[in-house]
Amino acid sequence: MTDATASSSEEPLFELPPELAIDTSVARRVIAQFIRGQLRQAGFERAVLGLSGGIDSALVAYLVAEAIGAERLLCVSMPYRTSSEASRTDAAAVVADLGCASETVDISPMVDGFFGAQPEATPLRRGNFMARQRMAVLYDRSVTWGGLVVGTGNKTETLIGYTTLFGDNACAFNPIGDLYKSQVRQVAVAIGVPAAIIRKAPSADLWPGQTDETEAGFSYPVLDRLLFWRVDKRRSDEEMAALGFDPALVARVDRMIATSEFKRQVPPIAKLGPRTAGVDYLYPRRRPGSARE
Amino acid sequence: MQTLRVALAQIAPRLGQLEPNLARHRELIEEARGKGAGLVVFPELGLTGYQLQDLAAEVAMRLDDPRLAGLAAATHDLSVVVSFVEESADHRLFIAAALLEDGRVRHVHRKLFLPTYGLFDERRFFAAGDLLRATPSRLGVGVGIAVCEDFWHLSVPQLLALDGAQILINVSSSPGRDLAATHEVGLGTASSWRGLMRTYAQLTTSVAIFCNRVGVDESFSFWGGSEIIGPNGEALFSAPLFEEGLFTADVPLADLRRERVGLPLLRDERLELHAREITRIINERAGLAVDSTSDPFAEPGLDVAPGDPVHEPIGFREDATMPQKLRR
Repeated sequence: MTDATASSSEEPLFELPPELAIDTSVARRVIAQFIRGQLRQAGFERAVLGLSGGIDSALVAYLVAEAIGAERLLCVSMPYRTSSEASRTDAAAVVADLGCASETVDISPMVDGFFGAQPEATPLRRGNFMARQRMAVLYDRSVTWGGLVVGTGNKTETLIGYTTLFGDNACAFNPIGDLYKSQVRQVAVAIGVPAAIIRKAPSADLWPGQTDETEAGFSYPVLDRLLFWRVDKRRSDEEMAALGFDPALVARVDRMIATSEFKRQVPPIAKLGPRTAGVDYLYPRRRPGSARE
Repeated sequence: MQTLRVALAQIAPRLGQLEPNLARHRELIEEARGKGAGLVVFPELGLTGYQLQDLAAEVAMRLDDPRLAGLAAATHDLSVVVSFVEESADHRLFIAAALLEDGRVRHVHRKLFLPTYGLFDERRFFAAGDLLRATPSRLGVGVGIAVCEDFWHLSVPQLLALDGAQILINVSSSPGRDLAATHEVGLGTASSWRGLMRTYAQLTTSVAIFCNRVGVDESFSFWGGSEIIGPNGEALFSAPLFEEGLFTADVPLADLRRERVGLPLLRDERLELHAREITRIINERAGLAVDSTSDPFAEPGLDVAPGDPVHEPIGFREDATMPQKLRR
């Protein structure tokens, strides 16, 4: 393992598996071009995203600001009453650093209004509901701000299905969905995301003290390496074992990938007519005439 | 021989929008002319954009299309390579690259190899071309035109050179991917293409021109990085990655003669050897001839026998040194 640091004299900000090292300047160029292209082809000049205070949405905010200028970005913070104070201050630090427009929408009344008389609602149900309320707020702000909703999910959580369908995975386009968490951290360091955000334990912040890694039971460097060899490099069970991965962990991650396949795809339509969207009616999302006038 | 000024139009076409793309081509042709270029190269599907899917039929042009003729009309005293969707008289759609010279369509190459794997789905929407021909040109040397994936097949640049091309032109819409830090210039796709073009230029002792687009279609970001490689395999010019622009560079055509006299690889090619061995392999694959280089128990047309984990390396006839159980 190698360690990535902002400068050699400081503590390592995070652990970087060497096979996941990317050229961050190339990544930033590709992503900036991608963001500008997506907006232009849709006829938009502005973007809006949900800023949680975590590294993923913070990085996307920096990437959007780099691509189109901070003045065209609206960051919406949508805390629930149990959200951590650190999340709020970290989100505020990003907004202050970028100088972009921002808004805070407290989703507590929306969530409590629905679940108020249902004390039996599990944390999972509540968490999913919160994610979908945030989506609903962002798509409303897409209209008032006149910008496209930018996705902030990374490749690691997308592959294992650690996302809420039609919640945090809902967006017009996603600039970081093909970057593993370790790669998100690399780009975040390079682009200047505050160190406090890079250093803290990733969390969905759905209840106090929750972290991704305690919930999933493995660390991001291990999971990222596993996914890289298994998915990107198509390694077999035997080859994974030879690489030093615990077969039980490989099997468990395989199941997570398989059971979340539906979250990564457009819902199927029953084939009846001569041309069916997504089956044999295949057009680019952005085609002549599709851009907003 | 004179020096040839080449203009590489590393553009970001607008997907499915012929008219603005045609206008951009006309504009850049005039700009290149103003810069003294003798050859202008546009990328694969520069007139239409790449990720067309079902739009392909809607932007297709016949070779007698007045819009193409209009573009050709702008090429007096100039050689220009443009790329578009060509519809044949029997309504097949090809990814085509045309050499326009002195006001007319001089040569058309229809993409031979349509990648339909990984991120590509070309065979679903397009027909594959059947012809590979070098073409004479007003530049005074033969030109060989190919499209992107064609150059992932070793035979294509070689056949073009053997057919008389001294300038190999590959027009591409190559989506950037594989961002590992270990790659040269940080991008796996770019490293691969840089290696391929240098190798082809050196092995065919030709000038190799690579024109790749930039911009975004859907998920794909095209990386540019267009290049001109001299006949000794060294880069004469490398355009920046991801940057749109019209880049010009001078190619001393006298280097072609010097290189081919000093390193007569093409002179020494053994075409009859190719033909003989290729014919043999075709017959063996079809099961029409005994395969002299296959596993003893391989089925007709296959080199490797199924089921048996003990394989001798293929390519050896059975003889006394072979283990008893593998002998026929």
